Amino acid sequence: MRSQRSVIWAAFVTVAGLVALGPGNAPAQEVIKFGVSTPLSGPAAPWGIPHKNATELIFDEVNAQGGLDVGGKKYKLEVVAYDHKYVIAEGVATVNRLIAKDGVKYISILGGAVVKANEEAVNEGRVLNLPLAYADGLVSPKNPLTFHSFPSPPETTTFWKWIKQNHPSLKRVATISPNDDTGWWSIKVETTFIQKLGYETVAKEFFERTMTDFNPVLLRILAQKPDVISVLASPAGSVGLIIKQARELGFKGRFIHIGQVDTSVVANIAGKANVEGMWVHGFVQAPLPEKIKSWQTRYTKKYGEWNATSIDFTNPAFAFVAAVKKAQSVDPKKVADALSVVEFDNLWGKAHFGGKDYYGIGNQIIYPMPFSEVKDGVATLVTQLLPPHN
Amino acid sequence: MTFALFVQSAIVGVSLGSIYILMALGLTLMFGMMHIINFAHGAVYMLGAFVIYYIFFQGGAPYFAAFVASMILLGVFGYLVERSIYRPIKGGIEPTLVALLALTTFLQAAGYPVFGQLDKHVPPVFPGTRNILGVGISVERLMIIPVAAALVIALYLFINKTRLGAAMRAIEQDKEAAALQGVNVHVVNGLAFAIGFALAAASGALMAPIFKLDPMMGEQPLLKAFIIIILGGLGSVPGAILGGLMLGLIDSIVATALGAEPAFLLSFVFIIMLLLFRPTGLFGYAS
Repeated sequence: MRSQRSVIWAAFVTVAGLVALGPGNAPAQEVIKFGVSTPLSGPAAPWGIPHKNATELIFDEVNAQGGLDVGGKKYKLEVVAYDHKYVIAEGVATVNRLIAKDGVKYISILGGAVVKANEEAVNEGRVLNLPLAYADGLVSPKNPLTFHSFPSPPETTTFWKWIKQNHPSLKRVATISPNDDTGWWSIKVETTFIQKLGYETVAKEFFERTMTDFNPVLLRILAQKPDVISVLASPAGSVGLIIKQARELGFKGRFIHIGQVDTSVVANIAGKANVEGMWVHGFVQAPLPEKIKSWQTRYTKKYGEWNATSIDFTNPAFAFVAAVKKAQSVDPKKVADALSVVEFDNLWGKAHFGGKDYYGIGNQIIYPMPFSEVKDGVATLVTQLLPPHN
Repeated sequence: MTFALFVQSAIVGVSLGSIYILMALGLTLMFGMMHIINFAHGAVYMLGAFVIYYIFFQGGAPYFAAFVASMILLGVFGYLVERSIYRPIKGGIEPTLVALLALTTFLQAAGYPVFGQLDKHVPPVFPGTRNILGVGISVERLMIIPVAAALVIALYLFINKTRLGAAMRAIEQDKEAAALQGVNVHVVNGLAFAIGFALAAASGALMAPIFKLDPMMGEQPLLKAFIIIILGGLGSVPGAILGGLMLGLIDSIVATALGAEPAFLLSFVFIIMLLLFRPTGLFGYAS
């Protein structure tokens, strides 16, 4: 009887011990929620989908290594993503939801008009924002917690210098851009810069993002006989239609997008031959450095289909991880302080936040930016340049 | 603006107007018959384009077979909508409007999970361009003109020369009197829904190779179609034709001369001015 009791006690103690040591009762790992408000549907989805995917993949890889070590405590990174369809009202709703309901303290918003609409909510909520967006005044001392994580027109206009040097015969430039904050600011910056370089801006047109028939606007542009048409800030779907319709109307010159656009999506709509010779920043299909080839393999393994836009859209996640490691804190203010000084690796090389001379605050990402030309249907890297301001 | 540019923009305007006419036809037919503004017109246009994407581009069927399939499938869908939505709520104008608006929202929202999040495209069916008075117009766009004309003529003949068309006209004039004369109002209404939806599908099917495809692609055409039927006179097929051409020309000539934004604003100013002098539109009549 006594030995029976001993066996029961021994079994009880063993089971209790196993339960106590088992994963179910291990101290729960802390979670850092990172909000992503981005267009996952609609014309801007070719930007939004790789934005969300790239962030998730980098966080998955950090989590697979045990999470983020902050002051001896391990944190798991979690993406909370919502689709704003590039509609301002939806963008405001998704960011409010992320801050108020999901309680995120770190966020990445894609889209200039959407980021601007959320400026107050982000500042008041003391949320650290790592946007991918073009908007006037976004990188500014009044937005100390906003760190713009993609090269914007003040940085990428530097490619026009390269064009000037390598293609001196091009002189007349026309621009066509979305009729919103993003488009207005982008074109203002681009035309100011290129006019200083000696280019003549022969047409400047804006379109509603829902527009699909560009024939009348293009007729107006083509009457000015441009050598190059800049489609800065336009989404891939619109760029595809602009190129297709401009070619139908007889335009033989070049197209350029110093923002970012997936030229394979553009070619699907416009036709491969029509996109030939197009220049684009931030989208490279070949030749890819080893580091990016590895990223391509990992991305394709997780998501099935490769998306080259994801390369540069890894920036918010890389910057965030590096800054939290540097700050050894999850306080957004301390992470922001770390972002101001940390140097980190992105997929193109060394990156940091700077640009104080231009913006009045060093919150703009700086790294060697890739520039491609579509050759035989492939966006081929032709140069990598640093922005004019560091 | 030079004369040559004016002529070029007029040519583009006619091509644009043909697209608008096609979009407005089904809408004006349904309004004329049942006094319904079919908010689902844009969503059906989108579905018509996606039928082309799946049957022609993905499935490899000949384009015209896919075009006819698109009209038939969406025509049947229109008949089912009449049976399941319009008829149960007994043809009340306001409830029907709300129900069709709900149907639109549902179809657009369902579009993303069903068709995917990225824009789709359909390769050109009639590749190449033709130079007309110095302006290159794609053959695809030029093809719209005869197809739109054929559909207008077919619709005109159907309404004016067939017994079913006579029944439609009778219902338009007096539903009760038509029913007393033995016209099966439900069947004819169902047919009007089917034709209206089939025409919207035809527009979408024709536009599929010209534009890109996404679940929201019908919104802008729907807005244009509304403007046209108000301009031409609600329920008037000749009004839709003239309204479509006028709007196409305004959009093209003003946008070429002044830019896209002024063209958008001026088309509304023009309509307001016209309605001030002729509240029923160009060919409309007071009921």
